[in-house]
Amino acid sequence: MSVRAPTINDPESGAELDEHDPRRPTRPEDELIHHLERDQLVAATSLPVEQAALSPRARAALWALRVFVVLVSLMVIYTFIDQLH
Amino acid sequence: MATTDATITSGPARPPLTEEDTARSHDRARVHNARTHSKHWHLLWLLVGPGILAMLGENDGPSMIAYASDGAQYGLGFFVPFIPVLFAMAFVCQEMCMRVGAVTHRGYGELVLQRYGKLWGWFGAGDLTLTNLVTLVAEFVSIRVGLAYFHLGSGVAVALGLVLVAFTLSGGRYWRWERIVLGMALFNGLFLVAAVLVKPDVGSIVSSLDFTPFPGGSFNTLLLLLASTIGATVTPWMIFFQQSASADKGMTPSDVKHGRYDTAAGAILAAIFGIGALIAGAALLTHNGSGIQGFAGAGFPEALKRVAGGAAGAVFALGLIEAGGVAILTISASTAYAAGECIGVSHSFNSSPREAAVFYAANVGVALLAAVVILIPGAPLLSIALNANVLATVLLPVSLVFMFMLANDRGLMGPWANRRSTNAIGIAVIVFVGVCGAAYGIDSFLLSTHLIGG
Repeated sequence: MSVRAPTINDPESGAELDEHDPRRPTRPEDELIHHLERDQLVAATSLPVEQAALSPRARAALWALRVFVVLVSLMVIYTFIDQLH
Repeated sequence: MATTDATITSGPARPPLTEEDTARSHDRARVHNARTHSKHWHLLWLLVGPGILAMLGENDGPSMIAYASDGAQYGLGFFVPFIPVLFAMAFVCQEMCMRVGAVTHRGYGELVLQRYGKLWGWFGAGDLTLTNLVTLVAEFVSIRVGLAYFHLGSGVAVALGLVLVAFTLSGGRYWRWERIVLGMALFNGLFLVAAVLVKPDVGSIVSSLDFTPFPGGSFNTLLLLLASTIGATVTPWMIFFQQSASADKGMTPSDVKHGRYDTAAGAILAAIFGIGALIAGAALLTHNGSGIQGFAGAGFPEALKRVAGGAAGAVFALGLIEAGGVAILTISASTAYAAGECIGVSHSFNSSPREAAVFYAANVGVALLAAVVILIPGAPLLSIALNANVLATVLLPVSLVFMFMLANDRGLMGPWANRRSTNAIGIAVIVFVGVCGAAYGIDSFLLSTHLIGG
């Protein structure tokens, strides 16, 4: 299950209510929880955000970078082991 | 997950609240109160933390030894202005992490995994685990070096590191953890005290600001210096840590301005303290500084004692213990955040160990694993410690690219996405780090396989 990616300044996001807002709750624990944004609650953050659609070019570039970094890391590790001897 | 009975009585129905929500809401209530009553300094006090911890956490044992080694071998020239440049680069990267964490309320690991696919998320977590494990070994070695000055051994170093992890985790609150580690991190200033105690020539510090003299030696030595110094300022764990900690702290878009102050303060303090270690090391320049083995026995502190007196040696040794201790806490935390985020289970200091078993187990487990390594007789601790920063530099570009993509993702960030100027600087940083790391890796490999001459 995925949710719409959270955006800011969204009236549905449950931004903090003003001190004099009549919707403000009266119970102490309710008052406390109003200081959290709606998308800050564990119930909201435990839902995954939408997956981004990467272009084939971006995907290829990421793979090229990943392969390059792995190769260089192997070179560093080889040098490290070589220096031990 | 355990829930409390606190629910909202008006507006749209909210889901049951967890312990984590309730603990975080207490922290947010104090922020709201300070903001409403225009208590600016109190608000700043409440919102600082992740930025300073990421920056001072990176002023860890291997980094401070690297700065001191630079000073001992090459003097102040080039490095005094180069260290602030590197921390300015670190600020650009870490500001993005803070902003993404504050806007999305999610950690780096989970966002990469969910937004770009599990494979990329797990690759990132794998890189992080490898570099963190190597770096944690180096942190325990750093504590051991500091303790060796006071004639204490490896067993005490291991016990001290593990007790620190257990103690800071015991409260079950992010706020408590953050404040304890923040208090400890300020003792990174001991390196500045050490710099004062060696009575440096102020004129030579000022004259080194023009980046001269450039360090001599072979091309490979220069690349090693660049790679290890970059690895001493920006690393993959900092990216994971600051974004996740910002989200765990409960920061929101309205806190981004203070998050920038926090990150900038961390960068400035870390640069000043790093230069302190460099100046202290430079006191050894005319005393066979290049021959000092930083991780062998009490290395630097003992050498400083001979040159600048017992106080300088003792302060430097205490600084190494602090640097290693704080880094063990922040690096273990970054591993725990990544583990919880990638597995998809609770990952917050605001959750109890029962609620977030994976998070707490990873936090303690990675520190324990590193501690075991330094107790192995004959383990190549010196080589591991010296290569920790280099490995972090080599693996960093991938983490930076995904951070850059997240910070530019308008679907996630809305109006808080990167500006063009931030992108221009960010791209320059990624290219610089990538080229330096790759050049050292390739050149060293070619030298060690004798494909090119030394």
